[in-house]
Amino acid sequence: MRRFDQLAVAVLALLATGIIAAGSLWLGGYDPLVAGAAMFQGSFGSGTAIFSVTMVRAVPLIVTGLAVALAFRAGVWNIGAEGQLYAGAIAAAWVGLSWGNAPGWFLTSATLAAALLAGAAWAAIPAFMKVRLGIGEVIPTILMNFVGIYLAAFVVHGPLQETRGVFPQTDPISDAARLSVLVEGTRLHAGFLIALLLGVILWIGLRWTHFGFQARAVGVSPEAARISGMIESKRVLLVVFLSSGAIAGLAGGIEITGVTFALYEGLSPGWGYTAIAVALLAGLHPAWVVFTGLLFGGLEAGAGAMQREAGVPAAWVSAVEALVILFVLAGDQIRRRFGA
Amino acid sequence: MTEVFARLDGIIRHFGHVKALDSANLEIHSGEIHGILGENGAGKTTLLNILGGIIHPDVGFVEVGGSRVRLQSARAAWKMGIGLVHQHFTLVPGLSVLENLALGRRHRGHRWKLHLKEIREEASQLSELTGLTVPFEASIEELGVGDRQRIEILKALLRDPQLLVLDEPTAVLAPAEIDQLFRLLRSLAEEGRAVVLVAHKLDEILSIADRVTVLRQGRTVMTAARTDVDTAILTDAMVGSSSADGDALATPDSLSALVQNSDGLAQNRELSNRSVARLKGITVYSPQGGLALQDVGLEVLRGEVLGVAGVEGNGQRELALVLSGRQEVASGKLEIPEHVGFIPQDRTREGLAADFDLTENVALALHRDPKFRLGPLLRWSLIELHATEIRSRFNIRSSAGETLARELSGGNQQRLVVGRELSQLPELLIAENPTRGLDFTATAFVREELKRLAHDTAAGVVLISTDLDEILEVADRVFVILRGKLTPVPSVHDSRETVGAMMLGSRLETH
Repeated sequence: MRRFDQLAVAVLALLATGIIAAGSLWLGGYDPLVAGAAMFQGSFGSGTAIFSVTMVRAVPLIVTGLAVALAFRAGVWNIGAEGQLYAGAIAAAWVGLSWGNAPGWFLTSATLAAALLAGAAWAAIPAFMKVRLGIGEVIPTILMNFVGIYLAAFVVHGPLQETRGVFPQTDPISDAARLSVLVEGTRLHAGFLIALLLGVILWIGLRWTHFGFQARAVGVSPEAARISGMIESKRVLLVVFLSSGAIAGLAGGIEITGVTFALYEGLSPGWGYTAIAVALLAGLHPAWVVFTGLLFGGLEAGAGAMQREAGVPAAWVSAVEALVILFVLAGDQIRRRFGA
Repeated sequence: MTEVFARLDGIIRHFGHVKALDSANLEIHSGEIHGILGENGAGKTTLLNILGGIIHPDVGFVEVGGSRVRLQSARAAWKMGIGLVHQHFTLVPGLSVLENLALGRRHRGHRWKLHLKEIREEASQLSELTGLTVPFEASIEELGVGDRQRIEILKALLRDPQLLVLDEPTAVLAPAEIDQLFRLLRSLAEEGRAVVLVAHKLDEILSIADRVTVLRQGRTVMTAARTDVDTAILTDAMVGSSSADGDALATPDSLSALVQNSDGLAQNRELSNRSVARLKGITVYSPQGGLALQDVGLEVLRGEVLGVAGVEGNGQRELALVLSGRQEVASGKLEIPEHVGFIPQDRTREGLAADFDLTENVALALHRDPKFRLGPLLRWSLIELHATEIRSRFNIRSSAGETLARELSGGNQQRLVVGRELSQLPELLIAENPTRGLDFTATAFVREELKRLAHDTAAGVVLISTDLDEILEVADRVFVILRGKLTPVPSVHDSRETVGAMMLGSRLETH
């Protein structure tokens, strides 16, 4: 019943967003039907669109979405997935470049492990500020995003810049470090499997394990968790925070090893922020994050097609994504206040 | 005949699938104190919240001063002269008492400016007049429940209401404070105001009310003048005919059934150490830096209920947390069992996670028990079984284990907490105002269970309560806590007045 309510909120939020989105297109002088058709064509309209564009775009959204969902479930308001993703990407690029001679399976694992560690390290700063000093995590995680974004920019202009020294990007990482392609003839890479696996692990972890239960308890009621005398809230918060950062970092690592094979400035178009919409629309449920991640992946994939064919600026999609967050938050409150 | 100030007629209100009110009526007269009685979940708080504009009825109407009104918000209710004092406190932590009193008030003529000075003057005059003394400059979180209650009442009175509605104001007050509150309510009524009061204790309602309304399962089953009713009539009305409503009574042998499952537990425990907890020279500072407990020594024996009586804010919170191992001490020696059962006083915030369901709330207390674990996994099916057992033994009326804790009535929430803690048969149980907000059936039940736990399983039970009657009824030994110090009461048979005086410190001061 409750799950159904959450689904209803998500569906209604999407409907409301669709109506406003169509209305705004119409007001802007575009034909909503033409734009919608172009968007669908570009995202789910063909095998190429699905496997090479939508699913590929969905991977970082699912992974960062999972990072955010995990944190939010425990009441850790990690808004810093973007910065953690960059930290992971930097580490992955560095390992992929400098250990180029190692065997493939080892190099890929090492690259992704480096991304995990870097993401956790990036989250560690706000995490310790929260747990040790009692400083709210929202502002520190947001600020750490900027540090991460500019650190990546610095790295590709300086120490890791390509040997030609022309563009602000690194050399391509060694072939051995790259993730394998999943479906022959498409761009879909093994990172998608990692995202799915992670979704399942988190779902089981939160629902059925001892630690997952403790994390949810701290999330729904820090007071009751403390008074129960059974939960070391600080330790739980720390582990969740670092894990969330690690997962967001992994998203950066997957992007480097699966799609771009190099680090460059502006690698992420804001996945770490879109992740919040992905997670909220999924009701913070890991299994649903996979679906909402695909949906948002489709939105972003379709944005390009829409710009080409209907002339709608791709940035309009970012506004639509933000609308989804607003409607989900509002819907949640309405459900709580008046709902069954 | 007094004049009718307000009328609620045919009120129906659902919460999800639960019918909280099912054609409830209430007629409130100016110059009268109107007592409302009912079991837990009878709809008392919902009815009051409708009067206060917090909740809107699905069906039915509200009349104030003879004309129908729509109380769309708390502000609309104030404007109609209705002041509501909530059961759960609504003060803003982080603001001072004065700032809280100023909330939502505008000074005459100054639409945009906050005039703290004027409000303070007004408030201190009123405080003197009513005897509701509060520390204006203190921050809310420094204050105990008793102080907060007084602030809530003062806040409502500052708006000069024609109708003052109070939801269980006596639950956290000492006997002398209750007398003082009742005198205040009486004088308000004599000024021609109307007062509506919910209290769980029948004798309190009988002692103060002019008119009594009884709710049962969301319906008004009786309204009568005080002079026309007595305890027996009211009890009947509240519980209903005993045969038809048998499940309202708690299953009497819930704990003994558990005890049978653990043969010889009492004997085994008797043989080991006589004392189950020892405190020596315990000192604890409050979060604000004051001394909360001062050099406290205490020994809890097996098989006894040890009562600690005191007015809210004298260190009992800290004592409860220390005894249950939930708080570190600044100095002193503490010996307690590894697992201590704890019934905290604030069940909605501390006892339960409101957004967890029943099963998850049960898991909250026992998820570390190896019995319920399998590697990193929790054995949810076993936990669910255990939760079902608690629900049936402690008569928690809810449709399913997936019901969220916040969807339960206050009484059922408390039963869940009590049931969860008792069902683990702890060696030591700390109960903090465990019957606060419970009706008399549930109250009697909880008290009986505490006694049983102590006497039948040789556990130590510490009952910390602001309700002196409760302490005197249940406890084998009694201590009074005052300003962070424990004083033994020489004999349980000491009169109520003597202990009451000790709680307020008068005996200590005359020495």
